Amino acid sequence: MENFKEKFKEEAIENINDLEKALLELESSPQDKELIERVFRAMHSLKGGGAMFGYANISEYTHNLETVYDRVRNDQMKIDENLLNITFASVDLLKKFLNEEDQDPEVIKEKNFLSGEINALINGQPIPNQPVSLQPFASEEKNKSLKTFYVLFIPEENIFDNGTNPLFLLDELGSLSNDFVVYPHVNKVPGLEKINPESCYIYWEIYLSTEADMNAITDVFIFVEDECVLQVNKISEVNLLQNKEFLNKIDKTYKDQVDADVNELTKFAYNLSQASVEEKKKAEEKPGINVKERAISSIRVASDKLDNLMNLVSELVTVQARLDLYAANSEDAELLAIAENIQKLSRQMRDIAFSIVLIPIETMLTRFQRLIRDLSNELNKEVIFVTEGVETELDKTIIENLLDPFMHIFRNSLDHGIESAEKRIALGKPAKGKIMLKAFYSGANVFIQISDDGAGIDPEVIREKAIRKGFISQDAQLSKKELIDMIFLPGFSTSDKVTDVSGRGVGMDVVKRKISDIRGEVEVESEVNVGTTITIKLPLTLSIIDGLLVKIQDTFYVIPLSVVNKIYAAPHKDLVNTFNHLVVLDGRQIPFYYLREELGVEENQTQMEEVVAVKYEDREIGLVVDSVEGEYQAVLKPLGKHYKKQDFFSGATILGNGTLALVMDTNKAIKRFSIQ
Amino acid sequence: MGKTILIVDDSESIREVVSFTLENEGYNVLVGVDGKDALKFLDGQSIDLVITDLHMPVMDGIELIKTVRKTEGYQRIPILFLTTESQVAKKMEAKEAGATGWIIKPFVPSKLLDAISKVLR
Repeated sequence: MENFKEKFKEEAIENINDLEKALLELESSPQDKELIERVFRAMHSLKGGGAMFGYANISEYTHNLETVYDRVRNDQMKIDENLLNITFASVDLLKKFLNEEDQDPEVIKEKNFLSGEINALINGQPIPNQPVSLQPFASEEKNKSLKTFYVLFIPEENIFDNGTNPLFLLDELGSLSNDFVVYPHVNKVPGLEKINPESCYIYWEIYLSTEADMNAITDVFIFVEDECVLQVNKISEVNLLQNKEFLNKIDKTYKDQVDADVNELTKFAYNLSQASVEEKKKAEEKPGINVKERAISSIRVASDKLDNLMNLVSELVTVQARLDLYAANSEDAELLAIAENIQKLSRQMRDIAFSIVLIPIETMLTRFQRLIRDLSNELNKEVIFVTEGVETELDKTIIENLLDPFMHIFRNSLDHGIESAEKRIALGKPAKGKIMLKAFYSGANVFIQISDDGAGIDPEVIREKAIRKGFISQDAQLSKKELIDMIFLPGFSTSDKVTDVSGRGVGMDVVKRKISDIRGEVEVESEVNVGTTITIKLPLTLSIIDGLLVKIQDTFYVIPLSVVNKIYAAPHKDLVNTFNHLVVLDGRQIPFYYLREELGVEENQTQMEEVVAVKYEDREIGLVVDSVEGEYQAVLKPLGKHYKKQDFFSGATILGNGTLALVMDTNKAIKRFSIQ
Repeated sequence: MGKTILIVDDSESIREVVSFTLENEGYNVLVGVDGKDALKFLDGQSIDLVITDLHMPVMDGIELIKTVRKTEGYQRIPILFLTTESQVAKKMEAKEAGATGWIIKPFVPSKLLDAISKVLR
């Protein structure tokens, strides 16, 4: 703003000089309209600029002068010597104002004298001596309670002609409101043959609850007041737009195609509000925090209902796929059209259903902030917690399952990661540690990163510890990443002393397992003295998975693609004649399970079979199937309560042709096979 | 955003403050020093809003508004004029000429943006 001020000063000097010149010329030709305009313009610029750049004195003073010259311009007053003298003196005064001498007692005296003179000129009418500022500068005391208003807005047909868009006005009204109900009336819209696309035929009735007053509401329509009929009534001193009875009433009025009768409505509202005023009084008597009403109305729904809804929707998607297939093969145009419509609807249904069960990561934040606050006090460490992208949404089930692992990770960061302030300063880091939670979408996944700028994980410390605990041999050659990944091994803890906070060795392996349970993946990156970043990759939703469709005999199965490493073809004889269930693939020996055998399907006669190599804990295990059909996006469906007790399958999915495929939970299944 | 606003004012400081405020909000700003100068922008390029002062040399705001309303392709664009509250008559004249609304001088940036949001979204 300062450099603008300089600019204004330069300009003001020009304006004042221009004013002076024009006045001199006026003296010789007082009738010259053009000159009067010039004087007027110069003052006008001084006034507008003065107010904007903090020269209230200038704007105030020129405002009064402007009033005089406005009369001159409209021939209500004549230029005479007296007026010119006063104006010349005023020019000198303005120069002083510009030099910020306005506190000088001489200048103040001069100003008071001239203001008096100017007032005398305006027929002795005293001019209220106040700065020419508008509401923006005067903050008015707002009454902080919601009232209900009724607005009837009937634009003229030609309202578009001046570049007005009535919808923006409604938008703006909406932004004033807490609750907002709009009823458009389209009964005046003529038939297509008579309609003029450049005319506005619609009018609106609007009910709103707001803290703003009547003026604020009429201000919204200030630009269009001549092009519309506007009626604004306060219906109630309380917010009735959360009141079912009231909403039903106005809904009915609208559906009956009549405009609301404000008087009757006000009475109705009054009777209703009496009840709510009573309640309000009661509420005010109760001490406690007044929770601010959300503008978005929301309802709570039991989550099993949502699960049900999701099931039905995924079923609908499946049936729709069948219908599509059938319609495409038939020659029936009508059927095709119906199938297309169903497709559109079911897609929208699916999207909405999925978005219902998505909640933002933010919902977990308070718990983390609390944990970090308490822990940092307890450990006597200073930490700032920064978040980014926490509006990212995830399936509620995923969020629920993330809480514990995240708490673990934060504990670790604070306990082992962030160093004490002295140590940090010694290392040339800021005294305050920083823990960051960052979330972002990428494709069909959400990534969440938790990072700290602490001590990091020293791979050498891990190596020693791993040797000591017998996880690896003395001369094992491991890369840095392999070493760091050892923190995920059960029973591995790097902390030299067990604290209450962490370090009992039940940390990261549990984190990893819990995140795998929701089909997520965890990665750790760490630099000594720079910090540690833990990246968690999660599916957006648990109800759709990318799978690998495989076949055994006549049955289809789905193996989650996230665990599949590679697929190999292998001759049947290599697989059945092994004596220790090992198969050599890519030059490595891989243990495998023969799924026909495991699932109790009889011996097979095919020459070639396929081995799907899947990740299991930290190994690779082969699963032998007859054939791999391809990738498949499976809509997961639960298996019903009779199948709760088995471990092999986590769910089922319906294929496009209507047959079922079971979705294999490879981790649990392999565990089960290995026990047998 | 990316909407284009044409500012017409003979005062350089006002032009600068307004363009600064609007550019900060992400608008593209075109600047004319008076009505006649502003007309050069009505060459077929897309303009979403015109903000003009009323008192200007060469061609004043009223004339400019009338001209814009007659120019093919620009008849319907919103036009706001800068005004001082003392002139109800001028306000009416500008409305007659086809202005969409007005911004009261002096203004603070937030008020200016409010007024713009009345006619642009």
